[in-house]
Amino acid sequence: MADERPVLELRGITKQFPGVLANDHVDFDLRRGEVHALLGENGAGKSTLMNILYGLYQPDEGQILVKGEPVRFHSPKDAINRGIGMVHQHFMLIPVMTVAENIVLANEPTRAGLLLDTNAADRRVRELSRSFNFAIDPEARVEEITVGQQQRVEILKALYRHADILILDEPTAVLTPQESNELFEILRTLTREGMSVIFITHKLNEVLEIADRITVVRRGKRIDTVDRQGATEEGLARMMVGREVLLRVEKPVSDPGDPVLTVDDLHVFDDRGLEAVRGVSIEVRGGEIVGIAGVDGNGQTELIDAITGLRKAASGRVAIGGRNVTGATPSRILDSGLGHIPEDRQRRGLVLEFSLAENVALHDYDKAPGSRWGWLFPRQLIRRARELLTQFDVRGGGPQTRASALSGGNQQKVVLAREIGREPSVLIAAQPTRGLDVGAIEFVHRRLVEARANGKGVLLVSLELDEIISLSDRTLVLYEGEIVAQHGPDVTEDQLGIEMTGAGSKEAAA
Amino acid sequence: MSGLSGEPPDMTGQTPEVSEPTPESKVPSVAARLALWQRSGGVITPILTALIAFLIGGLVVFATTGKNPLNTYKAIFKGTGLSWLSPVSIHWHLFYPAGIHWTGWDTTSPTALNLQQTLIVVTPLILTGLAVAFAFRCGLFNIGGNGQYTVGALVAVQFGVWFAGLPGPLHVIVAMVAATLAGAVWGGIAGFLKAATGAHEVITTIMLNWIALWVGSYLVGFNGPLQDPRAISAPVTRPIADSAHLHVFWGNPLLQGLHVGFFIAIAMLFVYWILLNRTTLGYEVRAVGFNAEAARYGGISVGRNFFLAMAISGAFAGLAGSIDILGWEFNLDLTVVQTVQVGFIGIAVALLGRNSAIGIFFSALLFGALLTGTSTRNLDPSVFQPELAGNLTRIIQGLVVLFVGADLLIIYLWQARKKLRLQQRKAAEQP
Amino acid sequence: MSVRVQPLQRGAWTRASAPSTIGMIGIGLGLVTLFLALPPVKVRTAPLPVAIGILAVAAGIWAFTRGEHRLGGGAVVSGVAGIGIALIVLQANAARLEGVFVWSALIAATLRYATPLTFAAIGGMFSERSGVVNIGLEGMMLMGAYFGAYGADVTGSWVGGLFIGLISGALLALVHAIFTITLRADQIVTGTAINFLALGVTGYLYNQHYGNNGTPENLPAVPDVNLKFLSHIPPQGLGNFLYNSIGQLNLMVWLSLLLLPVSYVALFKTPIGLRIRSVGEHPKAADTVGIPVYRTRYAAVTLSGALAALGGVFLSIGFVNSFTENMTAGRGFIALAALIFGGWRPFGAFAAALLFGFSSALAARLPDLSASDTAAWPLLFQTLPYVLTLIAVAGVIGRSIPPAAIGRPYVKQ
Repeated sequence: MADERPVLELRGITKQFPGVLANDHVDFDLRRGEVHALLGENGAGKSTLMNILYGLYQPDEGQILVKGEPVRFHSPKDAINRGIGMVHQHFMLIPVMTVAENIVLANEPTRAGLLLDTNAADRRVRELSRSFNFAIDPEARVEEITVGQQQRVEILKALYRHADILILDEPTAVLTPQESNELFEILRTLTREGMSVIFITHKLNEVLEIADRITVVRRGKRIDTVDRQGATEEGLARMMVGREVLLRVEKPVSDPGDPVLTVDDLHVFDDRGLEAVRGVSIEVRGGEIVGIAGVDGNGQTELIDAITGLRKAASGRVAIGGRNVTGATPSRILDSGLGHIPEDRQRRGLVLEFSLAENVALHDYDKAPGSRWGWLFPRQLIRRARELLTQFDVRGGGPQTRASALSGGNQQKVVLAREIGREPSVLIAAQPTRGLDVGAIEFVHRRLVEARANGKGVLLVSLELDEIISLSDRTLVLYEGEIVAQHGPDVTEDQLGIEMTGAGSKEAAA
Repeated sequence: MSGLSGEPPDMTGQTPEVSEPTPESKVPSVAARLALWQRSGGVITPILTALIAFLIGGLVVFATTGKNPLNTYKAIFKGTGLSWLSPVSIHWHLFYPAGIHWTGWDTTSPTALNLQQTLIVVTPLILTGLAVAFAFRCGLFNIGGNGQYTVGALVAVQFGVWFAGLPGPLHVIVAMVAATLAGAVWGGIAGFLKAATGAHEVITTIMLNWIALWVGSYLVGFNGPLQDPRAISAPVTRPIADSAHLHVFWGNPLLQGLHVGFFIAIAMLFVYWILLNRTTLGYEVRAVGFNAEAARYGGISVGRNFFLAMAISGAFAGLAGSIDILGWEFNLDLTVVQTVQVGFIGIAVALLGRNSAIGIFFSALLFGALLTGTSTRNLDPSVFQPELAGNLTRIIQGLVVLFVGADLLIIYLWQARKKLRLQQRKAAEQP
Repeated sequence: MSVRVQPLQRGAWTRASAPSTIGMIGIGLGLVTLFLALPPVKVRTAPLPVAIGILAVAAGIWAFTRGEHRLGGGAVVSGVAGIGIALIVLQANAARLEGVFVWSALIAATLRYATPLTFAAIGGMFSERSGVVNIGLEGMMLMGAYFGAYGADVTGSWVGGLFIGLISGALLALVHAIFTITLRADQIVTGTAINFLALGVTGYLYNQHYGNNGTPENLPAVPDVNLKFLSHIPPQGLGNFLYNSIGQLNLMVWLSLLLLPVSYVALFKTPIGLRIRSVGEHPKAADTVGIPVYRTRYAAVTLSGALAALGGVFLSIGFVNSFTENMTAGRGFIALAALIFGGWRPFGAFAAALLFGFSSALAARLPDLSASDTAAWPLLFQTLPYVLTLIAVAGVIGRSIPPAAIGRPYVKQ
């Protein structure tokens, strides 16, 4: 258990970005040997605070004390020298290099003072990895190992640099529940050895499982710091969001109609020529939401790409509303009654430099009344957009505003307006709430449930298990390109978690 | 390699940090601040860009020859004939005009002749500027304007020699259409390769330039199939038939008066605008240029648009080649094939004109004037050597592209700033 | 960055192997077609090379229709080119053919033509490995060419020329670095501007200093390395062959060869190389462990300019012993293609440079095949290096994986 003397103290940290007060006099302290969770929503200022602590940003005001000594970090190097290590949410690893190269980077062992000593690097990494029971091959390329292992490489990077304070930024976002448990085990080992851990997250259950103390931030301000003993999910959620949160989505019992999307024994190869989807069969019927659960990179992207025509399937069949669309062009598939909310709204969902009217027209610009014989009628596009933007409550701009000027939540509403507004028979939603705040998440969920009530079939692909569980009428588990399990509406997170690692029973999906 | 249009992915990519903006305090230097200020003025930015380029060019003149750059520029300006547009000439004495002379619009004055020259040079520059700009709007960098122009000129000259019996307007149209198509094919090759194999258009268009140069040299050079058999000592094609000449509407046709090709180029500016903003093709091209990935998800074929955009770009450049042949050159000379540079200047024209129709017109005017003003014929060698001035033009052109390239960043920063302001407003709205 | 769970499936190779193997065989057959028609084999009848060429095309089409677009396309191209060149060669008389295809001389010429490409490509490798696209290689080379000649003229020694040329290229590269790294301008636009600038500056200075007379005839040149001992290696034929192909090469040719292992070790076997590559792959990752991203990129880009300029120096005072305007003639871009073709690796780039160099050597000598001195068609051979580059870029580019962060300015937080 932790002793009371703080190894790290942040006092009154303030950071102003143009237009946003990201941190407003935040206090924070870390005791030796504890796990201190920093809890808050997306955009609450957690990452800014940690980036300041790691020397990536300079604070406008406030003080950082390491082991009682005031310090100023001008770059990560300063932070590293003070024993601070950080595991970023998006790993700071170079995929094409080996584990050892990644770990020793910038502190390389050399031969003759000039040449890279690869053997020494491998040896040291192997020793380090063994002493913490990590089982990592130093010679493996980072792109060839699992995400869980990559995270351990990140931790090793910090340990190699003699860190005794470890910052973990949303470390479980990419892990299965089982991998998360392994990570927690590692953290317990590390704290027993005297390391101190800052654990950034927005997930309440994790906080209660691993943290000794919890600091909640909201809109750049520290709300409170509490001990784990006595803290409850509801209480933390209220502090985090500032109001009562609806943890469940209300929806009537499903009444599925005819199949609107049928996928039959689909095989798809990924960019590297590996078989990413291996014989997947799915049926989505009108009026139901089918969720696909799985760890990122198990074939979700390739599956969606193949259904939407963005990628050629090696074999198999896709039908929309009974019509075979296998091998058709994306635009024909969209026309045959498919709506697609892509994974990444800024990269794939929107043309940020286009006006909202032009974005709303992204599939239907070549159809009357928006255009005829190749001539475009901008006024018609604007008229159509005005209707939809009102319907979907898009705020922050009109039809002629550029999409880049909207907030993330409103951008996603524009995508929803386009995809649902076309009245498709089946809607594919890929991670539709990624990076959104609670209000926007609720909006998206409501609209998906509404689409279901209107008789549309929805195929929901998400990495968030609670989203899958609360929305789906049926849930399929995708593991290494295969559907390994199928469930009704009352599945538990644990059950899915086990199956997502391929450990569950294999059964064919209907 | 990155296209031009995309914003730096680090900044817009879907990462949680996006909601936490880049601190602007880190934005570098005086240059950036100056540029931010420029951007607020819209049209001021390109003007400042050009001024800075001329300023540095002037320093080069001064540093290397010790001559007063102002005098040099004045001499260049005199050669452009642009002063003809003003009916009065004003002599300044300190701060008040000491004398105003009514010069009127004498269409036979040397100044008028110079202006005709300038506009003749401006004509192909508008078109090669469009050739670069259209590709830019699709996210492609067409530095193959030279090759596309050369191919157009070669085809135009041959079609001008053939079909000598055709009635005038028809002959002109046939030759122009053929040249335009040839340019489209030459540009289309690069577009096709980009679409089919991902070959970067910068490398392929440069290679196509050189291929066009050597094929052209073979065709019009000594003993080449297109060389004029009557002029065995000169590497030049036969002259085109009279029926293929473009009508000269201003000035003396024998002294290279201004031909109607100028209006064709102006018309193409409108075509360019309409194509981009009022057709579904233009919509697709812009969508692909701004965000190819989103366009693909929207059902737009990215490859098809790469091909079409390059073909249309090539068509503009090919048309430019034909207008020069049919308008005032009337035959094609080996040195023209080997030293043509309108395609390259088109890059500076498009960038300085910010890919807008009106901007391209004015920057074509600037570079056309610069070219005429520094030509051997129009620049007084006692003031400045034309050979040096020609290279000075290239330096200024390079500087313009350099600064405009940096200017793209400024635009981005400006947008980012606006985005931040918006976020601020939103943050203020939601308590 | 998206690092994904990736099951190890090396077995997948076998699945793709059939069409790709056929495609490669097709390319090989195309080369055989060419080889058969040339000395020393010199098949003097059309049917054999044509038949083999058709086989190559057929293999290409077979592979192409089975999804192997690049290799299949390559085989078709090599088959057609093989038949074409074989037919041209058949037109020439045997004696002229012998005169053109003196292999020892061709090897020497290939090395000479490959040298500027090698310098520029290796230079480009450092820049691009650090994440900065260098379209401006052409201009940096041109600077080297002019200032190499000018420096040699002014200092009266080729060493002076070499250093002044090298510095001029580095300075121009520094401009590229300032605009692309600090100002975060688009790297391709800036590179293009660099090329215009170099063209203008060298043209301007050349006209001012040398005018119509051109560079002086007695320009100090980089010396050749005479390896007379090679000719004494028995047997006599081999000795002469060796001496004629590599016994009289310019010092800078050897320098370029020396540069290959040196740059390989520097990039892949030293901490500095590891850091350069990390900056080009994932600058933020490099930044978070304390590697100065900007400084590393500045150094890499400046070095690239210096090396590209050496290529230019060789052109002017090692190869043709004079400077003419725009004398690099697209070589910077060909070097860039060689770099991509070679997978951003020194020896790969060198292999590609040899290929392009060989095509230039051929282009220079093939006109001699013509029986008449006035025929125009030999001029068409000048397109050979450019056509080859076009084919190479189209055929191979998608297969080699560029540094992940290339072309993207890094925004330091």
